[in-house]
Amino acid sequence: MKIIDYITEEKINLSTNLSKIQNFCASKLRETPLPKSQSETWRISNKQKLSSLLEYQYDLNSYQPNIPSYLTSKKAIKINVGNANQFNLKENDWQIKELNTKEINFLIEEKIINNNSEPTWTNLLNHSLVSEENLLGIKISGENIPPLQIFCNSKINHFNAKTLILLIDEKTTVDLLQVNLGDKNSSLSLTTYVWLEKEASLNHGVISLGNGTSNLLNSLDVVQKIGSNYKLSTIQMQYDFARFEVNINQSEGGGHTTIRGMQVSNDNEQIGTYTKVVFNGPKGYLDQLNKSLANDKSHSIFDGSIIVPKNAQKTDAAQLSRNLLLSNTAKIDTKPQLEIIADDVKCKHGATITQLNEDELFYMRSRGLTFAEASKLQLKSYYKEIIDSIPVLEEGLELLNHLIN
Amino acid sequence: MINENLVSNVVTEPYKYGFVTDIETEKISKGLNEEIIRLISRKKDEPEYLLNFRLKAFKKWQKMEEPNWADLGYKKIDYQDIIYYSAPKQKEKKSSLDEVDPKLLETFDKLGIPLTEQKRLTNVAVDAVFDSVSIATTYKEQLAEHGVIFCSISEAVKEHSALIEKYLGSVVPASDNYFAALNSAVFSDGSFVYIPKGVECPMDLSSYFRINSGDSGQFERTLIIAEESSTVSYLEGCTAPMFDTNTLHAAVVELIALDNASIKYSTVQNWYAGNENGVGGIFNFVTKRGKCLGKKSKISWSQVETGSAITWKYPSCILLGEESIGEFYSVALTNNLQQADTGTKMIHIGAKTKSTIVSKGISAGKSSNSYRGLVKMGSKATGSRNYSQCDSMLIGDQASANTFPYIQSQQPNSEVEHEASTCRISEDQLFYLQSRGIEFEEAVSMMVSGFCRDVFNQLPMEFAAEADKLLALKLEGSVG
Repeated sequence: MKIIDYITEEKINLSTNLSKIQNFCASKLRETPLPKSQSETWRISNKQKLSSLLEYQYDLNSYQPNIPSYLTSKKAIKINVGNANQFNLKENDWQIKELNTKEINFLIEEKIINNNSEPTWTNLLNHSLVSEENLLGIKISGENIPPLQIFCNSKINHFNAKTLILLIDEKTTVDLLQVNLGDKNSSLSLTTYVWLEKEASLNHGVISLGNGTSNLLNSLDVVQKIGSNYKLSTIQMQYDFARFEVNINQSEGGGHTTIRGMQVSNDNEQIGTYTKVVFNGPKGYLDQLNKSLANDKSHSIFDGSIIVPKNAQKTDAAQLSRNLLLSNTAKIDTKPQLEIIADDVKCKHGATITQLNEDELFYMRSRGLTFAEASKLQLKSYYKEIIDSIPVLEEGLELLNHLIN
Repeated sequence: MINENLVSNVVTEPYKYGFVTDIETEKISKGLNEEIIRLISRKKDEPEYLLNFRLKAFKKWQKMEEPNWADLGYKKIDYQDIIYYSAPKQKEKKSSLDEVDPKLLETFDKLGIPLTEQKRLTNVAVDAVFDSVSIATTYKEQLAEHGVIFCSISEAVKEHSALIEKYLGSVVPASDNYFAALNSAVFSDGSFVYIPKGVECPMDLSSYFRINSGDSGQFERTLIIAEESSTVSYLEGCTAPMFDTNTLHAAVVELIALDNASIKYSTVQNWYAGNENGVGGIFNFVTKRGKCLGKKSKISWSQVETGSAITWKYPSCILLGEESIGEFYSVALTNNLQQADTGTKMIHIGAKTKSTIVSKGISAGKSSNSYRGLVKMGSKATGSRNYSQCDSMLIGDQASANTFPYIQSQQPNSEVEHEASTCRISEDQLFYLQSRGIEFEEAVSMMVSGFCRDVFNQLPMEFAAEADKLLALKLEGSVG
């Protein structure tokens, strides 16, 4: 069955337990089977790629992905979203507990149904399609928690939808690497909700690697309580169409958020990152850097907004968008935005679009490096800043070599 | 600590241009349809091509929808409840200023506009537009000696028809946007400037726009053509009386710069902004665009936006010619319930083009002030550069300052840099100034003026002084 038929022909009936959320999302989705093109965040999205994504066959089942060695960590606990096995890992001082369906449904309902703001199209699609097996919720608490790896993947010629919920308990510190792998001609819809309780800390890496012909709709929603620390480091590349929506809400202010993002587009790909950071209380902190690299005929998009309402005094937020345009036929759109009402704040943003630094290239060539070697070296340094900040990853260098070649 | 009461008690200077001139005007009936457009055209005795231009624009306008992307909150405008033509009644064409209704001259006197030619010392040629019609243009003869044409659009239509036919709508086509289409259909008057090849305009040119009646909209059109190697500096000022209703102002400004030509366009916009509860005020929906057609041509916009209930304005540059330069310097100040959505578009098409954007937004009261700008590097704009800087200053915790820069690049061999920051008036600095014996109000106004210095430096002398005073006046009573 094609996704588009699921949406338009009212045939969504995948599971009994989820029906309330599914029905709610599916009926909303039927009103707008495709995102409205006037909507600012979808305006420059490639509509053709988006609609061909919905032509995929829907796949309910999960399967064991093939994970390259440079993406796995030997020390980490590995979890595959889509394995129906219940687990409850417990040691003396920590616990990783799987949430039951009722708990999961309650949390999603709070986000989607009992929320004043309109759910995003990406989340509507996800919740309409995700089956119970592809829903994973975990609660992490305690101390000295081993690093975690969570894998999500899409199957060749199919569309997969997965939802992940993470609750990080008070004063708990977690290192987590999420790896999303896209097979040939596949599509993955992934929605992740993260709740960081007071003084909790999450060092979150997200590596999304496609196969050149894969598609990705990735939505990440984070709620941070006071004193919490959230660090997000992401890399996404090799997708025909990829869209990464990040929504971070410092619900009481006083949180600490760091974002390091990188996207690389080649051939005819379109890769976009849309971030929104809202400060709903005073003394919040944000440091954001998004890098993009566009080659061939590709299109790279960054849309980042920072929202500082009246009660968010003493917010300190900085956002930087750095873009490298490497080809005459590629295109980069960047839109860093500030919406500020509180007056006692420090907010700034910056954006640059350039090509590789000529002085540096000249310097390296004058030391005997060829043009190709010098460019590669410069690119490596551009990637490395992000790769270095990804947690759990043991073979960062190998990944870098893989990405560069 | 800033004493909030002290500050809010300071009385706001009333809008001093809010008077209405009691003068007999000729108005046509309210509403907009093809007949009205034909009537306006007939009244102005226009040639066929202009009537067709208007009708075509009107047809396009009817099919368009009012834009809502700027997220401005305002009551829906009833376009049938507006008078599209209003002119002071005059019997015959005047041969000199002595024949102009003295009441009209008095109005411009009150506004401080040197219409009378005795005030030669000011050395600024003025075209004054009252409601829909251009009243007087000074220094015409002197300008004509240099070959400079400076007159109202209506006059230009009659006397320089070829130029109008060639250039009108060539920068802002009738179908460009909703308000430009409306303007193209019903524009009543405006200024026309033509600087011939190699001429450096001997004096600053200035136009002064005055809306007098409460129920008529103002739709003027300005067209400036700078031929090869010519230079001109043009100033524009606007005021309106206080009415409880909102008045629509939808203007179009088109600039054309050929090889090596340079146009500097400065605006001090002080339309009536409505009262502190947001009642009344002008809706200022303006399309301003310049085309750097020639090699090494330059267009520079500088603006001080302090008035209007709503400002929707993006003076832009299309950089077509090789090595052409576009500049945008803006100060936008909003207070009370004013809303300003302003910025610029720099479209780099030619190679080695350069653009600079400096925007300073000051939001006080419950106002909302947004910078919205586009920088686009086309695929042929090799070696082009852009630098943008947008700074916002917030006064009080009720106002909002937003920055929406859209940056698009298709040319690897070009550079785009954008930076923005937000700050408020620092208490340390205030304390320092006050401890040196400077009054609180004056200290604030010094700091605001310092914040805007980069832009004020770009304004012509007399405008810069005026702008400084204007900001101080507008801010009084709002700092806290």
